[in-house]
Amino acid sequence: MEQSLRVKVNGQAVKREVPPRLTLADFLRDRLRLTGTHLGCEHGVCGACTVLLDGDAVRACLLLAVQADGREVTTVEGMGEPGRLTPLQRAFLEHGAFQCGFCTPGFLATGEALLRSGRRLSRAELPDLLAGNLCRCTGYGPIVDAILEAAGSR
Amino acid sequence: MKSAPFEYARPTTLTEALDLLDRHGEDCKPLAGGQSLVPLLAMRLARPSLLVDLDRVPELRGFSAERVGAMATNAQLERRAGDLPPVIAAALPHIGHFQIRNRGTVGGSLAHLDPAGEWPALALLLEAELTVESKRLGRRTLSAGQFMRGPMTTALGADELLLSVSWPRWPAGARWAFAEVARRPGDFALAGAACTVIAGRTRAVVFAVGPLPQLAGDGGFEVTGDLHASAAYRREVGKRLLDRVMTQAAM
Repeated sequence: MEQSLRVKVNGQAVKREVPPRLTLADFLRDRLRLTGTHLGCEHGVCGACTVLLDGDAVRACLLLAVQADGREVTTVEGMGEPGRLTPLQRAFLEHGAFQCGFCTPGFLATGEALLRSGRRLSRAELPDLLAGNLCRCTGYGPIVDAILEAAGSR
Repeated sequence: MKSAPFEYARPTTLTEALDLLDRHGEDCKPLAGGQSLVPLLAMRLARPSLLVDLDRVPELRGFSAERVGAMATNAQLERRAGDLPPVIAAALPHIGHFQIRNRGTVGGSLAHLDPAGEWPALALLLEAELTVESKRLGRRTLSAGQFMRGPMTTALGADELLLSVSWPRWPAGARWAFAEVARRPGDFALAGAACTVIAGRTRAVVFAVGPLPQLAGDGGFEVTGDLHASAAYRREVGKRLLDRVMTQAAM
């Protein structure tokens, strides 16, 4: 039986009927056509589908859409727009922190959560904090540089 | 990689949750943070006809220095790590990546009982007691040893819920150590060990090496090999980690 779901996505209230087995990732991509959230492994290992749920970085593939009922979701589409990028997005651009771009939305969500956490980010510990996101192009260096720069500019 | 269809219920009281489990038994599965269950559903290794989402059951929330509600997330505990026994504080950063800890719960980890999980090892190490409840049997308390039956297998009946886990007060002057080896920080442990020295008594566990976390004794420990690490590797690394935590905790 379909469940009714009310969720705020990128600031907009959304109401839909969804089957309980639909993941949040599939809900965002297939129902809302917000295809910026990418799906890699679909079991929580690669981090490509990371989004913000009430401000916390979570795996959209490990969450049922119905579990987001009453909550607020931010995807990469809600972080900035062309011409008005977030400081983190601008730093990614300046450092060339992507090659194929598949992992980028997940890294931006993880990076945004780390910046908002208020914790001091050091070059030594940042790679461990980013271990939950995989970049198959192995472009980790510029990603670390970009997040550190965005952290420094706050 | 998509789940088979299931029905979904989101009770708002413990009584309502226990009623649902009582009525549906083997056909239903409680949903905590979903960080292990959702992939099992997607791989169709679990095919319940009803999921009972415990997210809005207030009785399962909250924690103190000696008792943690089943639905407390690892991230919530991490933010108050200073209030907890230090060996738990040391283990928390190893429990998945921080994105997983934002959703993953203490009760979910214990009820799932992955032998590589940190919480089953901590429960055994700290001589924890697990409080469980069903309509059929009422409330009962099990030791960690009674609760853990085998890999992914607990003493919980299909109609029973894990409510909380508690341990004795952490005494001043107690010593401890924790160590694990994983491919990436936050990945499943390939071997791990933890130790406490409380009132001169040493207690050590080794985990992620065999079917369950095991108390270290004279007889060595049981090891299993799989895709991620061979039995020989786990015996060797487990032994080294045990030596390391016992040495560290003794200093």
